[in-house]
Amino acid sequence: MIKFSHVSLIYPNSTTTVLEDLNLTIDEGELVLVIGPTGSGKSSLLRLINGLVPHHTGGILAGDVSVNGTSTQIAKPGAMAHLIGIVGQNPANGFVADTVEEELAFGMEVLNLPNDVMRKRVEEVLDLLSLAPLRNRSIATLSGGEQQRVAIGAALVTHPKVLVLDEPTSALDPIAAEEVLSILHRLVHDLGLTVVIAEHKLERVIQFADRIVHINGAGIANIGTPEEILMNSPIAPPIVHLAKALGLKEIGLTVREMRRMTTAFREMPTQEQRNDEIKTGNPVISIENLNVNYGDKTALNKVSSTIHEGEIVAVMGRNGAGKSSLLKAIAGVSPVQSGEIQVLGNNPSDLQGKARRQRIGFIPQEPSDLLYGQSVQIECDQADRDNELATGTTFSVLEQLVPGISGTTHPRDLSEGQRLGLALSVVVSSNPTILILDEPTRGLDYEAKSQLTRILIQFAATFGKAVLLATHDVELVAELATRVIFVADGDIVADGSTLDVLLSSPAFAPQVAKVMSPQPWLSVKDVVAAIKEMP
Amino acid sequence: MKTTSNVITFSRPTAFVLLVASLFSAAGFLWPFFYVGQNLPQTQLFFWIAVAFSCVVVVLQVSSQQLDAKSIALLGVLSALIAALRPLGAGAVGIEPMWFILILSARVFGSSFGFLLGMISMFVSALLTGGIGPWLGYQVFAAAWIGLIAGFLPKAIRENREIVMLIVYAIFSAQVFGILMDLQFWPWALGSSTQLSYLPNGDLAENLSRFITFHFATALAWDIPRAVFTSALIIFSGKPVLSALRRTHTRAAFIAPINFIERVK
Repeated sequence: MIKFSHVSLIYPNSTTTVLEDLNLTIDEGELVLVIGPTGSGKSSLLRLINGLVPHHTGGILAGDVSVNGTSTQIAKPGAMAHLIGIVGQNPANGFVADTVEEELAFGMEVLNLPNDVMRKRVEEVLDLLSLAPLRNRSIATLSGGEQQRVAIGAALVTHPKVLVLDEPTSALDPIAAEEVLSILHRLVHDLGLTVVIAEHKLERVIQFADRIVHINGAGIANIGTPEEILMNSPIAPPIVHLAKALGLKEIGLTVREMRRMTTAFREMPTQEQRNDEIKTGNPVISIENLNVNYGDKTALNKVSSTIHEGEIVAVMGRNGAGKSSLLKAIAGVSPVQSGEIQVLGNNPSDLQGKARRQRIGFIPQEPSDLLYGQSVQIECDQADRDNELATGTTFSVLEQLVPGISGTTHPRDLSEGQRLGLALSVVVSSNPTILILDEPTRGLDYEAKSQLTRILIQFAATFGKAVLLATHDVELVAELATRVIFVADGDIVADGSTLDVLLSSPAFAPQVAKVMSPQPWLSVKDVVAAIKEMP
Repeated sequence: MKTTSNVITFSRPTAFVLLVASLFSAAGFLWPFFYVGQNLPQTQLFFWIAVAFSCVVVVLQVSSQQLDAKSIALLGVLSALIAALRPLGAGAVGIEPMWFILILSARVFGSSFGFLLGMISMFVSALLTGGIGPWLGYQVFAAAWIGLIAGFLPKAIRENREIVMLIVYAIFSAQVFGILMDLQFWPWALGSSTQLSYLPNGDLAENLSRFITFHFATALAWDIPRAVFTSALIIFSGKPVLSALRRTHTRAAFIAPINFIERVK
């Protein structure tokens, strides 16, 4: 179906090859996963398939890419539209229409399909992706997972033979992600659709992949079955790391496989329950009976909680459960209907200027909302000046966090991970007492994520600051958080140590915990430590 | 060598059609000075229709060209922006932020783009503000010419001198637009009895002096505030907006070279 022969790619005004001599044949009905560090060329590979690269971007393409026998050298992206559906990294950027139904119909309108066909296919897709209850909703009001489903639906209505998705689950909660992936799995198996996915959160997709293309930083690609690639790749989901840490000969890709392989470890006599009481420093945030409404919709309903110094609190819950509302209310950037929030004894919405920067650092879901400079350098210098730091301090923090960013780049030209790194460096430079992050891991690769984990833990433990983050990434929470607040439908339904909360909810349990249940181990680190202690 | 598509540029045949249509609409503006005859209402009607028709011809000619997706997207977004800005100033005298965006976009994306942007945005904003009438064709052409000429301003001038140049042009175009609108308005708006009214079959010099007086009477209310407001916008936000537009131009990768080769080595 898709054939790359000796493909190398060089972008204009650049001397480095993004991909080098890639040979790859993807058959009909295959689900291929593209992995690699941020900026390695995953998106380029995806966009080569329908000819957006090089027809839209320019560049030198060596070799040939052909889809269903048509070479992209000859056919422009428009001529491939009926053949290839493409879903971008941020679905909100790709929407054209206002409501779900109109958005679904738009692609067919462009291809000039007859009206009755359009009606029928819109219905089909509404059912296929369980979008029927949302059909008349305005797209702007949908949650991330729902938007992602609409974007996939909009790509599917034209009945493409190939579906290309760039990080389809990175903004989704585990359950919504599973929903999207199982839909893709079904499309592959029922309709013989060929699917190519780029994704960082391997633990979510690995079990569905037939083959993996692993691009390393230098543009060289390894291609093989998931087992072959993951055995030797530094990029791997937690269960693979677990298998390696336990010294197993084979690796399992699903929780079921791994459970079978690790029976022996689970049956070992356990230590007494890990003592994981919550550290209580001085309280820094206290919330009482907080209500937040958007029009008629209740986002938070009488929420009360207290957060202390040195804690790393993860706020989890479904898309649209009220995580962002809670964070925004604490950061003082959105209005509160009733109730009281105290941040270090102040009402956060009264804090201004320097007093505010030194108390609360807030990184919103879209980090570029914080970035106004024309280049990374200007942004960093501004942060240095604002906080009276030596010139270059912020930039060196950024260097540590995400190495290899050129100071002259425009912030909006950075990848999502790099942009988050920049926003984080700028916010941390003012040394706030409380750091609030909304969905910090979307678009981050494993390397960047472990950097982030390291920095946040250091920030909280060494300097005694409080970190509050909303995330869907259970693996990150298992590594990082000391406490989890679980929000559902505007209420706090669980609040306790990471171990207690994650183990009590199967859907939100990390992979290692699922494998090792009933042992109370959340991460590979825990397992290794526990096994070492055993006689 | 192959390249990615360029931002809209008119081909020779299109430029020719455009010239003819422009001459026609210019005649539509200027006829009162040269009019000799008895059928004033019919002549007026003829030019109303002729100017509107010229618009349609230009649009048809342009759309028969191969327009590329990126240019259309840019045109669409900028026209929507301008159209959305226009009602802001509909009630207030001369507060018309649209000229600011039009001039800057035409400066960055070139004269052909400026011409189309002027046309489309004027038309769309008329739909939004309910400003549809015989004057619409005239407004569309006037805006198109302003965009066209903005695209012809010398490219090499940058930084502060560029801002100064754009301010001079903004003042010039505010006045030109005012004169053109008065021209199409004047023959029929005042009635025939005032001292400033158009004299059918009158002396050219007499009519000119009447028009100039009429124009200055209205200019104080409309054209001068328009020039001041547009210049102020260019002074305060010209640089960041220009750099945002230029970045868009770079990001869209217009005429970036495409090269297909066998093997790298």
